[in-house]
Amino acid sequence: MLRLHYNLEKVSMGLVAAIMVAASIGGIVEIAPLFTIDETVTLPDDLRPHTPLELAGREIYVREGCYACHSQMVRSLADELDRYGPYSLAAESAYDHPMLWGSKRTGPDLARLGEKYSDAWHVAHLRDPRAVVPASIMPAYPWLGRPLDTRLLEAQLATLARLGVPYDDAMIANAEADALAQSRPASDGAAAVVARYGERIAMRAFDGDAERLTEMDAVVAYLQSLGTLTNAPYQIIGGGEQ
Amino acid sequence: MVGTLTRSERRIGIVLSVSLGLLGLGMAAGARHGVMAVHGMMALGLGLALIFHIGGALYDEPEPAPGRSGRYYDAPTRFGIGMTLLWAIVGMAAGVWVAALLYWPEATPPWPWTSFGRLRPVHTTGVIFGFGGNALIATSFHVLQRTSRARLADALSPWVVLIGYNLFCAWAVTGYLMGSTQSKEYAEAEWYADLWLVVVWSVYFTLYIRTLARRNEPHIYVANWYYLAFILVVAMLHVVNNLALPVSLGAADSFTIWSGVQDAMIQWWYGHNAVAFFLTAGFLGMLYYFLPVRSGRPIWSYRLSIVSFWGIVFFYIWVGSHHLHYTALPYWAQTLGMTFSVMLLVPSWASAGNAIATLNGAWHKVRDDATLRFMFVAAVFYGLSTFEGSFLAIRPVNSLSHYTDWTVGHVHAGTLGWVAMIVFGAIYTLVPQLAGRETMAWPRAIEWHFWSAVGGTLVYVIAMWNAGITQGLMWRTYDESGALSYSFIESVRTMAPYYLLRTLGGAMFLGGAVICALNCRATMRAAGGREDAADHPLSLHPAE
Amino acid sequence: MSAPRPYNAPDTDAPTGHREVDPVTGYDTTGHDWNGIRELNTPFPRIVVWALGLTFLYSVVTWVLLPAWPTGHTYTRGLLGLDQSEAAVERLREVDAVRQGWLARFDDPDFTALAADRDLMAWATPAADRLYQDNCAACHGFAGGGGPGFPDLRDTAWLWGGDPETVAETLRHGINAPDPDTRIAEMPAFDWLDRSERRELAAYVAALPTGDATHDSPAGFLFAENCEACHGAQGGGGLMNGAPSLADAAVIYGQDPGTVMETLRVGRRGVMPAWGDRLSAAEINLLASYVSRVSENGKGGRE
Ligand code: HEC
Ligand code: HEC
Ligand code: HEC
Ligand code: HEM
Ligand code: HEM
Ligand SMILES: [Ca+2]
Ligand SMILES: [Ca+2]
Ligand SMILES: [Cu+2]
Repeated sequence: MLRLHYNLEKVSMGLVAAIMVAASIGGIVEIAPLFTIDETVTLPDDLRPHTPLELAGREIYVREGCYACHSQMVRSLADELDRYGPYSLAAESAYDHPMLWGSKRTGPDLARLGEKYSDAWHVAHLRDPRAVVPASIMPAYPWLGRPLDTRLLEAQLATLARLGVPYDDAMIANAEADALAQSRPASDGAAAVVARYGERIAMRAFDGDAERLTEMDAVVAYLQSLGTLTNAPYQIIGGGEQ
Repeated sequence: MVGTLTRSERRIGIVLSVSLGLLGLGMAAGARHGVMAVHGMMALGLGLALIFHIGGALYDEPEPAPGRSGRYYDAPTRFGIGMTLLWAIVGMAAGVWVAALLYWPEATPPWPWTSFGRLRPVHTTGVIFGFGGNALIATSFHVLQRTSRARLADALSPWVVLIGYNLFCAWAVTGYLMGSTQSKEYAEAEWYADLWLVVVWSVYFTLYIRTLARRNEPHIYVANWYYLAFILVVAMLHVVNNLALPVSLGAADSFTIWSGVQDAMIQWWYGHNAVAFFLTAGFLGMLYYFLPVRSGRPIWSYRLSIVSFWGIVFFYIWVGSHHLHYTALPYWAQTLGMTFSVMLLVPSWASAGNAIATLNGAWHKVRDDATLRFMFVAAVFYGLSTFEGSFLAIRPVNSLSHYTDWTVGHVHAGTLGWVAMIVFGAIYTLVPQLAGRETMAWPRAIEWHFWSAVGGTLVYVIAMWNAGITQGLMWRTYDESGALSYSFIESVRTMAPYYLLRTLGGAMFLGGAVICALNCRATMRAAGGREDAADHPLSLHPAE
Repeated sequence: MSAPRPYNAPDTDAPTGHREVDPVTGYDTTGHDWNGIRELNTPFPRIVVWALGLTFLYSVVTWVLLPAWPTGHTYTRGLLGLDQSEAAVERLREVDAVRQGWLARFDDPDFTALAADRDLMAWATPAADRLYQDNCAACHGFAGGGGPGFPDLRDTAWLWGGDPETVAETLRHGINAPDPDTRIAEMPAFDWLDRSERRELAAYVAALPTGDATHDSPAGFLFAENCEACHGAQGGGGLMNGAPSLADAAVIYGQDPGTVMETLRVGRRGVMPAWGDRLSAAEINLLASYVSRVSENGKGGRE
């Protein structure tokens, strides 16, 4: 062995090759089977992708770095099921590019947040967290009141569709219109949004103002969708379990 | 710096700068999205500045003396050390500021770019890639030449690497401020910056191999094994983790091609090994050179070096899944991550032990020489944080520590105690040499720096251990009635004193880094701008 | 590590050319010299071999017992047959069994009897408090005091009634929540009234709690015509239809003329989420009794 190494360390490309081999094995063994073992992800029938408005909200969630303080992953531990709700399934983030499981909980987990609070609360909280939760150390996001830029939405949906998220052509073509309509339940386009994305999506003026489509609309729509993309986790451990 | 280049190199340099400027112009013109336009302008500005800088000196400055191939090329190292110190201050100041925000959230001004979530990656990227990366590149050039007894293979590539790399860091950090991020921890930079880094890294690797090929010493020294592992594995991790589809070629927006659980595994395969090959392997290379140089002692055991090197390279890659215990990642992958983390402790401690045993016979120097003491403390913290890491990787322990400030404590035991300390040790060894002097300009200031760094680290880490364990316990404690004892917000309230302490510890550490930067500047100034002051003739030892 | 001893490595494959012995440790160097750096040929410390063996043994045992190695389309399940999610649910059931000891009494409650049982309440109150803090405090405040848009739970003014049964019903289905049986409470917008009329009304409503409002005035008539149906005669409330009394000190949004103007212009439709899917029936009843007590002692959950 020593003799072998003694010679290896004289050949730079030999060292390079040996390092590449030694450093590849672990990754291959752990990553490749995640694509081949079927039970890794069991896609439930009722799983839906995010609506364009929710997707825009998700982009803002990423932009503002909310994931730095909030996880979206209820671990399989009794206290977490008790506090947050059913443990997270791999399927729930199957359409998430990238996943936002997070690695730090400066604030609480958000995986089961959808419909836990009202839109008005979210708006008040994001504008000034300490106005509603005096002990909060979350930053205020007063600038979310500005208009939502929807110009990239269509391209975003198309890109995700290419990566396997089930957005069909109509969804892609109508992305901008759907984003607007989801925040204007009384508008003409509203029925089409429901037809495309299903009954379970929330159709509301999320920021309280149906006239303006703001970043706040998008973030709140996204937050209200967390944990509601499929019913599967609730079926597995039963509703009201906690 | 231009004085170290020949006329024809200067001309090629101008051509490269023009290409950079054109790339920037193309980006700025083609961008549909604000961030990319700003980044294009940055590249254009940098290209223009370089054109003027090199062009201004093209015929004016004398060419380097003909015998330069017999001398080391240290100008890039000097520049790299400067960037290291600059990023140290930027990154750590961002750290102190985000630490303060957690104690005093109202302090956030109402501008989006000052918000915690945007500044936190500025901190992590600033310190890991800006501070750590520049230190690695700068020292690797120095170590590579000395241990090969050969000059760098050419004079332009090191500049391409350093300038290109710093452009990457600047793009990354300014991108986050403007809200452009892929959100993958430690890989947040957007797709075009990722691509740019691939180019820079290829030049780096090629330069390394070409220089090794010219070595006058048949054996490649251990430090170079580590630097090579750092360069190679980081390249592999970077490419796979950052595979993404841009939303449009004109927008700083993309989607990772991976999703869900596979994305999580790949992200932490990357994330953990960013720790392993960026924050550990590279710095072990640094340790393996500067510790024996400063202490004047031979490495304690060549055989142990071999085993710990290959142990680290092989085991580390397996352990990323310990960041995903109890999550939706399949159990089997977690088990592998846990067991390999435990086995990993052995090569890790073997390296730490090898370093500490090397000091046998030099303990009086450790006592008297703050520079060597930095390296000693680094080795101790390396041992401590790897022990802690292996402990945290055990599932039941992780069930308590994960998501809490304990992780943050562990991180900073590693980064402040190990990474930053070894860098400071290396800098204090290197800078006088580069300036052609015996000592730093203010030798006493090294002592101050040392104690504020050690004090700051201890305050930071101990505060976070307490914070994290308290948090973890508060989240999971049931009282005898069978109900959870604490609400989440109570745990937030309990953190306040720890967050305050952490801010103070961080400020101490930052203070030390500022002293270091001033000291280095004074030392370099005293060199009187003689570019070649430190280029030593190649050692005359015969090659074996 | 073994004690330093002179070591002359006959088994090394290292070349023997420049052998020198290090005076401090007594070991040989390997003979290489990288610009002044040398390496000792110290033998491999035994303890490292032992440690590697031990950690490997630990790993093998773990691999045998737990799910560990992927094998193409499946993986080794481990002798213990563990599943982390089942284990968590199992553990949750255990905790739940402990609390069922007292929580079960809230399944189908006789609230009066429960409130009288001091022992039970000693168990229940901390648990209720934690549930309140994690789920309700965000809106109704740390101590139940409410905030702009969110009602105070400490006062005795109720939108739907403060007895525990009614509160429990409110909790289960929420108010204006996405729940088929939710309570509906909508304050319509009166933007069709003239601005001057709204201004008069606002002044009138703002004066109601202080008793200074003149009922026999144009504003009083407007009020009687448009508002009494919900808010009761002279704003006295008490209809338990979700419309607040406007004659007491309790406010949701505010009863200064400015805020009332805004209320009249845009209407109000406050949302209280439904908890029936999130909390168990017993937990809801527990919270209901907690909330009514908070109101009774007027001090909130925290003394
Ligand atoms: C500095 C850390 C930090 C950042 C960044 C942060 N939060 Fe928070 N968040 C907290 C803390 C602490 C709490 C708990 C106190 C509270 O409710 O405000 C919280 C609570 C919340 C809650 C209530 C969750 C619950 O179940 O009670 C939501 C929703 C939320 N945050 C959303 C966001 C969003 C969206 C962003 C980004 C735009 C964000 N947070 C950024 C720290 C943060
Ligand atoms: C998203 C914010 C929010 C949360 C969380 C919330 N509430 Fe409410 N709650 C409200 C609002 C708003 C109203 C008043 C609705 C209206 O204006 O008609 C209300 C009304 C009530 C009422 C009726 C008061 C009355 O006078 O009849 C009770 C009781 C109540 N909440 C208790 C709770 C409890 C207990 C919880 C926790 C399980 C809770 N609330 C969580 C927002 C919230
Ligand atoms: C259809 C029934 C209805 C009618 C008619 C009605 N209200 Fe209301 N009002 C409500 C309800 C329900 C609420 C509570 C809404 C909420 O909590 O979000 C409310 C709330 C209010 C509030 C806010 C109270 C507070 O605590 O902040 C004011 C003020 C008010 N109404 C005044 C009026 C006036 C003046 C009129 C007549 C012009 C009127 N209302 C007519 C149902 C009605
Ligand atoms: C044997 C060596 C080590 C092991 C087994 C190890 C293990 C771990 C574990 C288990 C975590 C926590 C994961 C979680 O719960 O989220 C972690 C986090 C971390 N460690 Fe280590 N560690 C080691 C050494 C180091 C060193 C030397 C450094 C720094 C120089 C370091 C830097 C980090 C960082 C930055 C994180 C945080 C990642 C994140 O969540 O963002 N580790 N490590
Ligand atoms: C002046 C000294 C420093 C201070 C005050 C500081 C402060 C902080 C703070 C406040 C956080 C965020 C923690 C959270 O979100 O709860 C953080 C994270 C981090 N810092 Fe530092 N830091 C300092 C130096 C460094 C250095 C020198 C490095 C690396 C070389 C480093 C690497 C990191 C990393 C990797 C994280 C992310 C940890 C995780 O995700 O778990 N820090 N730091
Ligand atoms: Ca809106
Ligand atoms: Ca990236
Ligand atoms: Cu790790």
